[in-house]
Amino acid sequence: MKVAIIGAGVMGLSTAYYLSKSGIDVTVFEQKYLLYGASGRNSGGITPMIDREELIPFALESMKLYDTLPSEVDFNFLLRKEGYVKLASSERDAETLKEEVWMQNRFGVSSRIMTPEDVRDFIPDFNPDSAVLASYCRESGVIFPWPVVWGLAKGCRKHGAEIKTQSRVERIETNGSKLIVYSNGEKYRFDFVVNSAGAWSNEISKMVGIELSNRIIKEEVCVTESIKPYINPYIYDISSGVYVTQTARGEIIGGITGMEVDKIDTSSTIEFAIRYAKRVVQIIPKLKGLAMLRQWAGVYDEGRDGLPVIGFTEVEGFVQANGLGKHRGMVIAPALGKELARLIEKGENPSIKKFNPERL
Amino acid sequence: MVKGRKIVCRCEDLTEGEIIHAIEEGYNDLESLKRYTGATTGACQGKGCLMHIIRILSQKTGKSPDEIGVTTQRPPVNPVPLYILSEGDVE
Repeated sequence: MKVAIIGAGVMGLSTAYYLSKSGIDVTVFEQKYLLYGASGRNSGGITPMIDREELIPFALESMKLYDTLPSEVDFNFLLRKEGYVKLASSERDAETLKEEVWMQNRFGVSSRIMTPEDVRDFIPDFNPDSAVLASYCRESGVIFPWPVVWGLAKGCRKHGAEIKTQSRVERIETNGSKLIVYSNGEKYRFDFVVNSAGAWSNEISKMVGIELSNRIIKEEVCVTESIKPYINPYIYDISSGVYVTQTARGEIIGGITGMEVDKIDTSSTIEFAIRYAKRVVQIIPKLKGLAMLRQWAGVYDEGRDGLPVIGFTEVEGFVQANGLGKHRGMVIAPALGKELARLIEKGENPSIKKFNPERL
Repeated sequence: MVKGRKIVCRCEDLTEGEIIHAIEEGYNDLESLKRYTGATTGACQGKGCLMHIIRILSQKTGKSPDEIGVTTQRPPVNPVPLYILSEGDVE
């Protein structure tokens, strides 16, 4: 069996890793370089404290995988498990947090509601007047997305997978039970082609005549200069969409939850920088004097109903693995990749049936 | 020993030997080399080190500086404190 993976982000590489580990012949096509897409541009917050119950089992499983994968692939992911705080700054959002926690607890996540005053136990300089309610989950944290991607790539290569960078897929043709992939003037034959191209998944899907119509989301992020470890948990304010944390290198990294865009756009805006700064200095006033060094933007995709799109399609051998959505790609991808590898290997896998592309 | 430590990136405290090691590990395009080593991502944002990194990459890979290119330039040009940004106007 020969499998092509299109897109070397965390979803594509997780799938490639588990397939190649089972001895399957895998080729990964990456249009630019590793980290070019959303897996190289996000802030690395990982938590099972997410808002869709369908995804919680995969977040819980990925948290476990992140404990063992680094030694399996021999690459340090720089994971810091120091909790995740969600803030609500309106009464309505406070209700949402309470409902989320109630749901999360039913699905085995040890999240809990706390007052803004309680947040100071974890973040002494947190301004309790900046929120009306908070939720917290200890079994969460921050991972450095770059070594996750490099490490998975290393693991793939160890198991014999080939990763072709600067290899944009230009065309896909069907030929009996085979799929022909064209890239850089070469053509390759595969039994399966996995579309894990993130924000580019709609375009890849069109190559085999499938209208995928995932939402494309643009999100902006920035970093400040480095300071000594100061903010331990990841902080996400659901009311403004602003999130902030500190990297293993000491930079304060943060952004604002993205918005749907018509086409792929990774330009940076001053409006983002101003909005972000206004909110973040309310949440932690002491950050005021810290200088922003660099800002950037990334694009990712989300299934039309807010859930990932994963599984076989009406085109034999063409597999979707995209639409992972907001605030969760990094924490659901390893487990989803593992389950998708099983689907491709065995021909069925009930655990990811709910993400089947045919539901849309 | 100290003599052999040729610092090429002062913000991230990187030596020429470390850059060469990363290139040999396979991080042999500028964008990957930047991310793997942290060169050009410190306080100077590449103003002090980018040319050294390009030179070393050129010497190691045989590619011309034109072929190597430069890293994506991102705002702001100089560091800006958050309190100044927070006083900005948005519609």
